[in-house]
Amino acid sequence: MKFIQEPREELVHLRADPLLVEQELDTRPDVAEALEKAVGFRAGRVYWRSEHDHLYALELGDLGRGRPTTATVYGFWDRYEPRPPEHEIDADLLEFLLWFAGISGRIDPADVRLTAEFAFKQTGRCQTAWPPDAVVRTPEERFVGVPDFPYQPAYVQIEGLRMAYYASGSGDPILCLHGEPTWGYLYRRMMPILATVGRVVVPDLIGFGRSDKPVAENAYSYRSHVRWMKKFLDALDLRDVTIIGQDWGGLIGLRMLAEVPERFKRVVMMNTGLPVGIPFSDAFLAWRRFSQDQTFMDVPALIRYSLQRKISEAEIAAYGAPFPSKEFCRGALVFPRLVPIRPDHPGTYENLLAIETLKKLDIPVLIFWADKDEITKPGVYALQSIFPRADEPILVKDAGHFIQEDKGEEVAQRIVAWIATS
Amino acid sequence: MTYELRAKPAWLTTLFPWEQKFAKVNGNHMAYLDEGDPNGRPVLLLSGNPTWGFLYRDFIGPLTRAGYRAIAPDWIGCGYSDHPRIDARLTLAHHISDLVSFLDQLELRRFVIVGHDWGGPQGVGGALQRIERLAALVLMNTWLFTGTVGKFHLSTRPWRTWNAPLAGPFFMRRHKVLSHAGPSLTTRRGMTELEARGYHHVFDEPDSDHVCLTWPRTIPLQEGDRGWQDMQHIESRLSELAETPVLLLWAPEDNVFPIEYANRLKELLPHAEGPVLFGRAAHFLQDDRGPDLAGALIEFLDRRLERRP
Repeated sequence: MKFIQEPREELVHLRADPLLVEQELDTRPDVAEALEKAVGFRAGRVYWRSEHDHLYALELGDLGRGRPTTATVYGFWDRYEPRPPEHEIDADLLEFLLWFAGISGRIDPADVRLTAEFAFKQTGRCQTAWPPDAVVRTPEERFVGVPDFPYQPAYVQIEGLRMAYYASGSGDPILCLHGEPTWGYLYRRMMPILATVGRVVVPDLIGFGRSDKPVAENAYSYRSHVRWMKKFLDALDLRDVTIIGQDWGGLIGLRMLAEVPERFKRVVMMNTGLPVGIPFSDAFLAWRRFSQDQTFMDVPALIRYSLQRKISEAEIAAYGAPFPSKEFCRGALVFPRLVPIRPDHPGTYENLLAIETLKKLDIPVLIFWADKDEITKPGVYALQSIFPRADEPILVKDAGHFIQEDKGEEVAQRIVAWIATS
Repeated sequence: MTYELRAKPAWLTTLFPWEQKFAKVNGNHMAYLDEGDPNGRPVLLLSGNPTWGFLYRDFIGPLTRAGYRAIAPDWIGCGYSDHPRIDARLTLAHHISDLVSFLDQLELRRFVIVGHDWGGPQGVGGALQRIERLAALVLMNTWLFTGTVGKFHLSTRPWRTWNAPLAGPFFMRRHKVLSHAGPSLTTRRGMTELEARGYHHVFDEPDSDHVCLTWPRTIPLQEGDRGWQDMQHIESRLSELAETPVLLLWAPEDNVFPIEYANRLKELLPHAEGPVLFGRAAHFLQDDRGPDLAGALIEFLDRRLERRP
């Protein structure tokens, strides 16, 4: 438990009307004394961020007795949006109770743990892991016959979800992040070229490709994607990373870069940006409108529509492989509306904070944009203001939003040449 | 884990024959009825304080017969949904996130929001989070703005005394002056004892009417009030509804939301149809003039929208 002692602007904003997770505690004098000692005062609030990156507050009340006589835990969620999955909250609250047991001296943390297990086994309550029907996994046979993708998937467990990635080559890692609505397959033209100068690591985002797919929409948030990807970095212990991001791969990658800059060495951004309350473009709004009207996402049709290059039907079908039915599509369906397009949109504030950090980073940056991409082009211009020391963005001709497919070889060769000089 | 909603009393069946399902929203069970063609256009019937889906009982038959899918959820704290006894689970922002969770879980697309009383701001607040999925909006005796405050909400008696500090819990919770005397008190057409019970019985349990007190205390009368920021947020986004068909159905004899509120809504939503006025009706106009309102609603939807989405 790491408490946030300084009330930051973020907290001031959230405090206005917290959405409550009810977890009330009665404190006896000795417990009150321990709490007072642990948090440094007897009345007021302290905040902390959980393992799931959710914000909580411990509120102590001193009802005139000279010691804390009430203690309440509050959880804060994105205003107006459904709160995250209940098992994440249960796990966070249990972590708090274990901390509390540890400082109180009256309850043994081991007993708290056993009681939680008992509650789960006897009544199905106090669930701290994904319920079995809450996550789907695309059957492997859907990927049989995917052309031109010889890479074997490797897997890591992230918060109980299986996350797939494809790796090739050796040396410093080159982390390639795909976006909406694709998977690692998108990087197949770039992988062999990039693998000549480093170890290419291409994960499938949670909800995409061979990675597990939570069914409920509230499992997916901008914050949860950043968190999952940061845990992926930790799981593989990637250091000196060259990060390549397109579309959501940029939105996630740039936030990671701001939060753990020490892991990164170079940045390559293509057709992406870091939105702070303004939509990328009218084309993006049209896409958002269209996508939010669907329950199933016909990804091959989208790819066929967007590509500038002619590819085979089997290659187009490979983009639809992860999504056999609508339950598998929730992550892809949610993505367009997670883009922070309004000032009060979840993510806007975090992105503004991230930009403050990114502006100060001394890191080589390479930016590509595609001449036929109407979705994120303005985002690429904004990237120049985030990275004032970056070179002039490289315009790639006859390429659309999926630049890795349209001009993957050309882009990869330019990246390889740039890595050699930077 | 299995869960069953509270059993309904047998006497209720003749008035409310529909079975309610539930969805788990933000950790609580939300009861709702879902009748009619599952592929029909979803019409969400949203009630306010202190009512529940029962208020719309005259709408279900006509809507489903006309090919629509009628969905009436009970807000958390109301009807057959869970009744948490915590203030900070029941404000405008909470109800909005509950509705959004409900819309997501039922995978509703191209839906219609019908909102009355708190069902207005809560319905519109939720719809704004899923704006691409909203097909039409129908508002009845409600409000979506700060600034215009009517006599009723400013009156010291009964309104402000009902929910005043200390007086509020005494009158509203201990003596159920609102939860056991809402539509039954204002009814214009007269109400049978059984119909009154239909509204009251969901708050029979002691201290189960927390929401009836939280709601009045969320009405934004002046800046800084709880609910002010959320209502301003809704008001500031109303221009996003410029392309959405909107209909105002109004009971001008309602002393809670008199016609000034409809006029203000017309200023903010100039493309709205109406207000179509319904006399012989007080605040709970769905109860006083149910079949007539249902007819007007269906006529509007038939004219402005494709029947199947």
